[in-house]
Amino acid sequence: MTELPEDEVCTLLTTIRNTYHYDFTGYAQASLRRRLRTGLTKLGCPDLAALQRRITADPAAFQELLGVLTVHVSDLFRDPSYHRFLRQEVCPRLATWPSLKLWVAGCSTGEEAWSLAILLAETDLLSRSLIYATDIDPVALRQAEDGVYDIDRLPRFSQNYREAGGSGSLSDWYAAHYGRARFDDRLRRRMVFADHDLATDAVFSEVQFVSCRNVLIYFDRGLQDRAVGLFAEALCRGGVLGIGSKETLHFSSHNHAFELLSHEERVYRRR
Amino acid sequence: MAVVLVFVVLVAALDWVTPLGYVEWMLYVAPVGIAAVGRRPLLPLATAALSVTLLVLGFLLTDDQVVASHLAIVNRAIGSGVVSVMGVMGTAFVRTRVRVEHEAWLREREHRLQSALEGNPSLAEVGERTLDVLVDALGAAVGAFHVTTDGHTLRRLAGHGVEANDEPVELGDTLVGRCAKDRALKVVRDLPSDYLVARSGLGNAAPVTLAMIPAMAGDAVNGVVELGFFREPSERALQLMERLEQVVGVAVRAADYRERIDRLLEETQRQAEELQTQQEELRVTNEELESQANALRESQAQLEIQQSDLERSNAELEEQTAQLEERQQELVRARVELEEANRHKSQFLANMSHELRTPLNSTLILAKILADDAPGTLTPDQVKSAETIYAAGNDLLTLINDILDLSKIEAGRMDMAAQDLRVEDVVGQVERLVRPLAADKRLSFSVEIAAAAPAALVSDGTRVKQILRNLLSNALKFTERGSVRIEVAPAPEGIAFAVRDTGPGIPADQQRLVFEPFRQLEGHVNRAGGTGLGLSISRNLARALGGDLTLQSTPGEGSTFTLTLPLQPPAGARPAPPVTAHDPGPAPLAAPQPPRRAPSPAEALPASTFLPDDRDDLRPGDVCLLIVEDDKRFASIVMDLAHELNLPCLVARTGEEAMELARRMRPTGVVLDVRLPDESGLTVLERIKRDPATRHIPVHMVSGVDQSDTALRLGAVGYAIKPVVREQLLEALGRLQRTASDAPRSVLVVEDDPIQRESICRLIGTERVDTEAVGTVQGALELLGERTFDCMIVDLRLADGSGFDLLDQLAEGDRYAFPPVIVYTGKSLTPDEEQRLRAYSQSVIVKGARSPERLLDEVALFLHQVEQTLPPEHQRMLKVARARDAALEDRRILIVEDDVRNVFALTSLLEPRGAVVEIARNGQEAVERMQQEPKVDLVLMDVMMPVMDGLEATRRIREMPSCKKVPIITLTAKAMKDDQEECLAAGANDYASKPLDVDKLLSLIRVWMPHGRR
Repeated sequence: MTELPEDEVCTLLTTIRNTYHYDFTGYAQASLRRRLRTGLTKLGCPDLAALQRRITADPAAFQELLGVLTVHVSDLFRDPSYHRFLRQEVCPRLATWPSLKLWVAGCSTGEEAWSLAILLAETDLLSRSLIYATDIDPVALRQAEDGVYDIDRLPRFSQNYREAGGSGSLSDWYAAHYGRARFDDRLRRRMVFADHDLATDAVFSEVQFVSCRNVLIYFDRGLQDRAVGLFAEALCRGGVLGIGSKETLHFSSHNHAFELLSHEERVYRRR
Repeated sequence: MAVVLVFVVLVAALDWVTPLGYVEWMLYVAPVGIAAVGRRPLLPLATAALSVTLLVLGFLLTDDQVVASHLAIVNRAIGSGVVSVMGVMGTAFVRTRVRVEHEAWLREREHRLQSALEGNPSLAEVGERTLDVLVDALGAAVGAFHVTTDGHTLRRLAGHGVEANDEPVELGDTLVGRCAKDRALKVVRDLPSDYLVARSGLGNAAPVTLAMIPAMAGDAVNGVVELGFFREPSERALQLMERLEQVVGVAVRAADYRERIDRLLEETQRQAEELQTQQEELRVTNEELESQANALRESQAQLEIQQSDLERSNAELEEQTAQLEERQQELVRARVELEEANRHKSQFLANMSHELRTPLNSTLILAKILADDAPGTLTPDQVKSAETIYAAGNDLLTLINDILDLSKIEAGRMDMAAQDLRVEDVVGQVERLVRPLAADKRLSFSVEIAAAAPAALVSDGTRVKQILRNLLSNALKFTERGSVRIEVAPAPEGIAFAVRDTGPGIPADQQRLVFEPFRQLEGHVNRAGGTGLGLSISRNLARALGGDLTLQSTPGEGSTFTLTLPLQPPAGARPAPPVTAHDPGPAPLAAPQPPRRAPSPAEALPASTFLPDDRDDLRPGDVCLLIVEDDKRFASIVMDLAHELNLPCLVARTGEEAMELARRMRPTGVVLDVRLPDESGLTVLERIKRDPATRHIPVHMVSGVDQSDTALRLGAVGYAIKPVVREQLLEALGRLQRTASDAPRSVLVVEDDPIQRESICRLIGTERVDTEAVGTVQGALELLGERTFDCMIVDLRLADGSGFDLLDQLAEGDRYAFPPVIVYTGKSLTPDEEQRLRAYSQSVIVKGARSPERLLDEVALFLHQVEQTLPPEHQRMLKVARARDAALEDRRILIVEDDVRNVFALTSLLEPRGAVVEIARNGQEAVERMQQEPKVDLVLMDVMMPVMDGLEATRRIREMPSCKKVPIITLTAKAMKDDQEECLAAGANDYASKPLDVDKLLSLIRVWMPHGRR
């Protein structure tokens, strides 16, 4: 497969930024290029120039491209040990605040946010919590808000839930109909789904917990720094940050603002 | 020595004077003893020898004898022996002492060097420090320090009083290299005067002696220290130098190792980073693969669904096709009927006009004959009547022709010829017809054909002339005086014929109407008659010819009708649809783009170019003052004052620079201006207080405007309003110095449960933290009345009341000092209670398994970040001086925001300015609140909220009839996207972007606040 020309990628990203106000210029180049190639095939464009014309003329085509550029892979209680750590170590800390705000940044199709809601409900914190789930892809965000998942994914969800130390049964939290499972409104009442771009937008609230897992890997160093800076700004002192198992704050310029709670689970605490 | 000699002579004299037998010679012991005190080792021995000689001489020379001479001999022999022994011992004693002193001297210098090399100095620092110590200890004039890290080349790392020189030297080359190779002290004496010159500001001199020692670590040479002396160095100095070989060498080796380790560590970190990146990349690839697999699975499922959908829609399509065919047949039938009807209509019209015209013709002819009155039999009245009949008949005929024309055009049945027309001919023919009419009305008439106008066109000549004739006759009809002109000019579409008159003109609101059939301008009908169809027909004709007819007119000045025509008729030219009321109006103006926030240019001027400060003399952590100020004059005033207090200064011009300096240098205190070029001083204050590295640094704010409340709440120790007088500044700087010093802190614990109380005290009490514990509101108030605390921990449940009572009472009066409060409670709080506590306390901790560590953390913070130390009367003064903003006085502002922090910030921004603040925690509450009582002057609406977001709430509020006009300002965290436009579309009057800029928000509120009282 031929290499995408640097300047064309650059022009395309600038066009996207100017037209649709999504800033992809800070995304990790290698994976972004791979996804752009996928996008070319999917939208049936021979080259980037054609793709650019297409998305400029047709907002629907851009929505489709946006779905390709942002990767949506997740499970409920993905990485169970991480969630077990949250349940055992982080929740007791969070319990010291009279009211709680939690931010799932880059929530994709919502699995992470729903997991967190269930976790909070089972540790008796949900009634004083509010979960902000944000993403840049409106389609994924709508899916997240619906909280409806294919029923064939549920066996894996349930297994993850058990491994993550779930205290009840996952089925307490959803109702299955017509081959799909819908998560409970008791959870939804404490959740806010909103469009927020880590590349361009500012902090919107003070929070006690940020979960941003497997999002930073798609960013280059500069954008990672910006995002971590946002988290540092949003988190109150003593607040907790969870990132993906292959990510690290080690090389971030905001490293000094955090101390490690668990290296294995990549959980940090705001100094 | 002189003393010893005098003593000896005195004793000798005494000896001679007194007779033998007196033991005055014993006094010889004294000079020997005195000699032992001196520094000359041989002196006691020499004195002893002299004494013995004199003793013997004394015996011989003294005649008088008191005792027997043999006794005297024995005595003097014993005396000689004693003096001799003392002489020998004295010599040994002096020798030993001198050696010990020498050793001590060496050791002292060696120790000095060792302590200078303590810590973890870098290679360069080792060089500098070694030279500093050696030059100082040995009285050398100049010095240089060479180091070899590879064992082959020496490079100079540091110099003392000599010019820099970086050229590396091979081991064994030059004197320095030789010294390293020989591994021995090397002294070069009697240097020629041009060998080396040591300069100072006042003059120069040439060192005469050069001494070099190798730096040895074990057996390895790793450097050479070279010193130049103005005088021959003492033996002691050279010995010292030799002794220090190992000390310097070991330090060099340690520094070298350290640097290597640092380099390796860096390398390892870089590799770790690379590894991390690769891992991340792997994870990305994995995720992508997974997502692709998911997508594949999904699309397969979708394909299946689509297939079944397709089948279903196929069936539907077939059904629809059948329906369509049916409908098409109906349509065909309808069209046939319609054509039939149209034909009938045209036929009818043609017949009708024919039928009408035939009798009309005879009427006209007869009327004409009558009017001519050839026989002369009619009275003038009768002639006049006949003329009227003729004229009316003519009008009727024109009307009939026009109706026929219009119906033909509308039915699309007007056939257009394509003829080669010469413009000149067309205009000429029309002119010939019109000129006499113009002459009748005494109007000037002219034709003007522009040189650039096309000479010919292809069109239907009859129709073109008809249009022009119509336009001209209108012009002549309505123009009472002045002129009528035809102007022919080229046009983008082809050619333009303009008919210009100086008539009454047509008002703008009626210009569109003149082209509509059966419409005439008001008043015109009576004055000039006409069917009113002429312009309508003309425009339809013009459009049928592929052109258009337009009008420009100014009432009172005249009108210009312009006929534009293409040079070639359009292919398949069909008549344009009739012009009716729906003429497109002017295109709506493009909505103006909201101004995008331009990123503020980052000012990156280094402060040293702004105002020279002491940064070069300072190391991180040194006692110093950071001045953040963009006004050079004021900055230098503060700096001078600080220098008076012996405080070195750093000056930063921008917030960014200030943060950088604060983080790196950790100053003792900060003087911070509110207005800075890049960001507000308050932001800088907040950042300093947020950053764990800088949070303990006391900050004193200085500003032209009073924002003391905000500043003090954010943790500033004081606030001064410009213009600041010298005493105030001195006091402020003094306070910064004092605050930075560490006196023990005191904490008040208010907790009803004695066990808890004890455990909290145990938790936080250290030798640096005094705790005082009480269990009642009353007790706490008493203590707070007596003394001040740095911090206070309050439980909400107390023996004689609640924590709320305590806090309320504290806030009420000025009787009590109000320290920063940490609420530590086992009670779960309602949002309302939490809201109430927020006014007093930044930190509320719910007791639980993990709460002690958070409590400890919060206490530690408060004790570091010593709060405002303003005396109470000063605080009161500030409160009174606080400007109450007239625009906000008594105004009711509804804040709709779920973030407690923001609510608190907004409340404390607005309430001091006299506004009455109400709070809704989400859109739903806001809507309900507005429904109950819509008397709110302004709404601040957050966008991102639970239950109902700000946009929806804004829309709902706008739907209420009573709230149509309430100004709503939305607060949004989004920097881009069309979010802001969405806010406006939802009905908001304006928006402010988060993070909120206090000044901007206030001015926005002032802008939108309705004027006048409710």
